Amino acid sequence: MKLIEKTGRTYFRISLLALIISGAIVYFALSYIFRRALNENLLSDIDAVSRTITEKNILPSYFPYIEVKETTGRTNAEDRISDTLIFDRDEQESIPFRQIRRVISANGKTYLITARDTLPENSDLAITIAFVTGVVLILLLLSLYLANRKLSLRIWRPFYRILADLKRFSYNDPGFTFSPAGNLEEFIELKSDLEILTGKIISDYRMLKRFTGDASHELQTPLAIIQSKLETLMQLNDLKSEHYELISSAYTQTIRVSRLAQTLLLLTKISNDQFPDRQIVNISVITEEKIIILSESYSEKQFTIEEDIKPGVNIETNTFLFESLIMNLLTNAFRHSASHATIEIILDENEMIISNSGPAPAFDTEKIFDRFFKGDKSSSTHGLGLSIVKEICSVNNWEVRYIYENGRNNFIVSF
Amino acid sequence: MKILIIEDEKELLVTIKKYLESENYMCETADSYFAAEDCLSVFNYDLIILDLTLPGGNGLDLIELIRERNKQAGLLILSARDSLEDKITGLDMGADDYITKPFHLAELNSRIRSLLRRRHFDVSNELIFNDIIIDTDSGSVYINGQKAELTRKEYDILVYMIVNRNRVITRDALAEHVWGDNISYADNFDFIYSHIKNLRKKIEKVNGKNYIHNIYGIGYKFTDE
Repeated sequence: MKLIEKTGRTYFRISLLALIISGAIVYFALSYIFRRALNENLLSDIDAVSRTITEKNILPSYFPYIEVKETTGRTNAEDRISDTLIFDRDEQESIPFRQIRRVISANGKTYLITARDTLPENSDLAITIAFVTGVVLILLLLSLYLANRKLSLRIWRPFYRILADLKRFSYNDPGFTFSPAGNLEEFIELKSDLEILTGKIISDYRMLKRFTGDASHELQTPLAIIQSKLETLMQLNDLKSEHYELISSAYTQTIRVSRLAQTLLLLTKISNDQFPDRQIVNISVITEEKIIILSESYSEKQFTIEEDIKPGVNIETNTFLFESLIMNLLTNAFRHSASHATIEIILDENEMIISNSGPAPAFDTEKIFDRFFKGDKSSSTHGLGLSIVKEICSVNNWEVRYIYENGRNNFIVSF
Repeated sequence: MKILIIEDEKELLVTIKKYLESENYMCETADSYFAAEDCLSVFNYDLIILDLTLPGGNGLDLIELIRERNKQAGLLILSARDSLEDKITGLDMGADDYITKPFHLAELNSRIRSLLRRRHFDVSNELIFNDIIIDTDSGSVYINGQKAELTRKEYDILVYMIVNRNRVITRDALAEHVWGDNISYADNFDFIYSHIKNLRKKIEKVNGKNYIHNIYGIGYKFTDE
């Protein structure tokens, strides 16, 4: 629910309640005042009638408003006020009346004077009041709505601007700033808190990146020493096969760590945007070239490779990054395919699809692009290849997604 | 052949020095910017191996000095800084080649040889091992007097093996040499086996000798022993 809607609803509820209460008060007040005025009129009517009887000895009669009857009742009794219904022949319905009765003695006789006047029907009064209240409610709400709109447009504007800024916040964007907060204290506070928060995120992210980069970089020299020592060691004469076994194992693992460090360094560099050199690259040629190189390395698996590569597709990107992208995607497809699988590569200006036949993955494919994620935990790979793919796509504003469809694992890059 | 190795990591410096000395190069070493400056201002070298990250100064600044004092020297840059910019700057400033840490000693040896040959030092353009003669200018291979038809990859492997003869050559180093940067994506070296198998067959067909020996779990040794 939007703020303006929420406040609107609250205003509506409160005004409705207030107007109902005030309507009831108005109703009771009006009917009270009306009856009092009616009583006073009726009393003055009776006074006038009794004066006429006493002074002129005339018995006025104007049914149903004035009625005079001779009676035997006591004269010192109080006036009796009551409501009554009198049938109106013209309108064929009973009409409510208020009547006051008084017994007077005049000229030696006793008279009962009844003065009546029509009472307004309660429902008429109620309808009128409800109508007026309704009109007031509508006017009130309309003005509230307009005021609210104007308020949210003007007063809340900095808030919405800051919100929009926050949405496009990226820890990668060095020039990120918030829009002005206006002169309201709350928004100024909000903005400064958010600035502290985003500043912290950016600096943490940078520190993490620098750390990864530095750590990978610092690993290279010791690894170079280990590697060269092992190479020197394996040149010694009189080594037995068990020595070679040990050296070989140490050597293989050294190379593995060194590749891992290099890959982490590459990931950091990509996300640091350290490949600014962009040119028009014929990606069809690169793709075909890399397919040949990898097919050779995997020739013993006897894959069927189907290519649908549109010739001469040119894209503005960094050559090295595109090579890394295609090599990682191809290696992924080749590596995870069983012998005799079909690997398909489709490329045109809009997208590139690399797919391989095989069973559906048994792991959560949402994580497939995560760093160090390995579908097969026992695999000797480091699980960074697809993270690199994702990172390269992200710096190029491309989209990469994975889907399993018709017995094929598809990686789709949309340029 | 006199080589100056400028490298601040003593362990690495010693290993490189020993390795190159066993290849019959004369080696001198410098482990800092200033030591390198001293060496360069006094002596002449045929080849300089330069690490870019040095205590006391930036290795890139030394390139200028080297080009001033040792115009004819071959210059091979060696650095953990595998960033593209450093590589381009280094090569622009007059370095002949660039190799990044960690590297295979066999690869270093191969690069040094081809660099010296490119710079026309008295390194013959003929690579000879017993009855195998390779003319590295034309890329022709003669075994036992007969011209052998080798594929590009077989040729590269053979040259690499002869340059690093009598030494254990790891499969990784060989694959990296032949495959270049793409090697980091390979997870098996079966493709190397098939090239080696074919190469071995082609040599044996002509002279009946098997020079390529398997070294268990590691790689190969090209030797007639």
